[in-house]
Amino acid sequence: MSNNNIVENLRKEINNFSLKLKIEKVGKVMEVFDGIAKVSGLSDIKSSEMVIFQNGENGVALNLEEDAVGVIILGDFSKIKEGDDVKATGRILEIPVSDNILGRVVNALGVPIDGKGVIKADKTYPIEKVAPGVITRQSVDQPVSTGIKVIDAIIPVGRGQRELIIGDRQTGKTAIAIDAILNQKGQNMICVYVSIGQKDSKLRKLQARLEQGNSMDYTVIVSAGASEAAAMSYIAPYAGVSIAEYFMDQGKDVLIIYDDLSKHAVAYREISLLLRRPPGREAYPGDVFYLHSRLLERACRRNEKYGGGSITAFPIIETQAGDISAYIPTNVISITDGQIFLETDLFYKGIRPAVNVGSSVSRVGSSAQIKAMKKVAGTLKLDLAQFRELEAFSQFGSDLDDATKRQLERGKRAVEVLKQLQYAPVKTEHQVVTLYALVKGFMDDVSVEKIKEFEQGLIDYSENNAKTFYKEIRDAKMWTEKSEEQLKKIIIEFKSSFE
Amino acid sequence: MTVISNNDIARAIYLASKENNDALSPALPGRVVNFLFKKRLLSCAPDILLRLDKIINQEKGRIVVRITSVTKMQDRAKTELEQFLKKRYSAKEISFFEILDTRLVGGIKVEVNDEIIDLSIRNKISKLQEYLTRSV
Repeated sequence: MSNNNIVENLRKEINNFSLKLKIEKVGKVMEVFDGIAKVSGLSDIKSSEMVIFQNGENGVALNLEEDAVGVIILGDFSKIKEGDDVKATGRILEIPVSDNILGRVVNALGVPIDGKGVIKADKTYPIEKVAPGVITRQSVDQPVSTGIKVIDAIIPVGRGQRELIIGDRQTGKTAIAIDAILNQKGQNMICVYVSIGQKDSKLRKLQARLEQGNSMDYTVIVSAGASEAAAMSYIAPYAGVSIAEYFMDQGKDVLIIYDDLSKHAVAYREISLLLRRPPGREAYPGDVFYLHSRLLERACRRNEKYGGGSITAFPIIETQAGDISAYIPTNVISITDGQIFLETDLFYKGIRPAVNVGSSVSRVGSSAQIKAMKKVAGTLKLDLAQFRELEAFSQFGSDLDDATKRQLERGKRAVEVLKQLQYAPVKTEHQVVTLYALVKGFMDDVSVEKIKEFEQGLIDYSENNAKTFYKEIRDAKMWTEKSEEQLKKIIIEFKSSFE
Repeated sequence: MTVISNNDIARAIYLASKENNDALSPALPGRVVNFLFKKRLLSCAPDILLRLDKIINQEKGRIVVRITSVTKMQDRAKTELEQFLKKRYSAKEISFFEILDTRLVGGIKVEVNDEIIDLSIRNKISKLQEYLTRSV
């Protein structure tokens, strides 16, 4: 662009500019400490209203007291001093949203932090919004394919569902979330990953992994890093769900991951204690349940009359030494529509993803599961339940009858089939074929060590030879008797060639 | 637990003084200082006085207006402004507190309680800057 053009454009913009005269509400900073400011004045301010400090930093009014207003500072509070002016904006905190945000990493205020320049936005969305009402909603009936066999088969998730991922540190919680994002390629799903209080190095690694899998094209990362103020961690999930709502309002399906809500609760506890709100259990404030319930309630499936679209939420909770009866885990378990339990013991036994199938549950997802998957997974659940029961029992003695031995062997193979490498999501039709071979007993005489090899070989072989079966699963979501016979034949054929 | 705010104390002082038909009892200041000392509230005294001032102004229908400008305001402009403010705030009496500040570049800034009407050139320039650098 030439200099003349720049000047011309500037002139045009300046001519378009008009300043409306308005009376502004202004307060004075009385004290500043640890990201909190006590402000006098601001008589008609609303709760959660955005304020602007003299140095340009934003804040949110949280505590409205008789004498003062408690404001959380969203940014650097070291340059705010006593006596500074604070302007009320009259607006609830909002963030800029647009389609251009896809593929970008933004902070909790929607400001890009990936060094790729300004995001042109045409709209703003308030970060706090009342969740869609009953009339606008529809029950969950479409699956979210995570590409993780154990989840898609046993703990299925539907579009609009809230499924908690819970476990101790280093059990693969984030890995499940990343795999789910990677598997959304070509599935008409927008993904929003909200990182709360995570290390920047972890986030960078995650972003690189998503870029490698070409998954950033449909993903937005909202980050409130460990080095940022607690206020940023507090608003990050709300900012994330506002972005998700922007896409849902266009009738799109969105998957949002909150990684993790334990750190979110800790950030809110810090803010609340600094604001002198009375502490309750584990020093969390009284409204910590509402903090998460109002956030997760915004995940929903809208009916066609109201534009369709859905938000599926995967909140993550980190437990301490497997204690799921702590305050925050119990809260979030009760809010969500199911949970995926990850266990350290299973992880170190080599069962990865370390999902405890017995304690994991999906309360609404089974109605969203495709018919073919439902058919194979029903028997699988039973096989695994019987295996778990017999496994402990079988350790006491070696004299087992043939039926028990068969069940044990089937169980071992089921566990092996459900193991999966990280960043290797499996397509639904491949999962159906593998699980079909397992539950129909075609894998019973394959040694446990060779199960993985058998599985991969079967997928490759059947893809080339059972095209009708695959087509039916993809289109009609169920097989016909004819194609089932064909698949059986192909599995037998493959088995005879498998050493 | 009920928290007694500085505003409550200021209102109590005002009501105590009113009992004597606006004539300040000679014993009242001493009693107030004694009370603040006993309750360890002496550090809050400046804030309490400020609030007392506000309460008195409010009760008497008086407002204090801070006007910041580059040059001294002309009397005619001041009278016009007084008329406008009296109407807007339903005030009986207006007292002006004038400040000269060349950083405003031009225009005036009027402050009443926690409201500001900023008609300065500096404000206009900063708003223009905000408008030109906006990402939305």
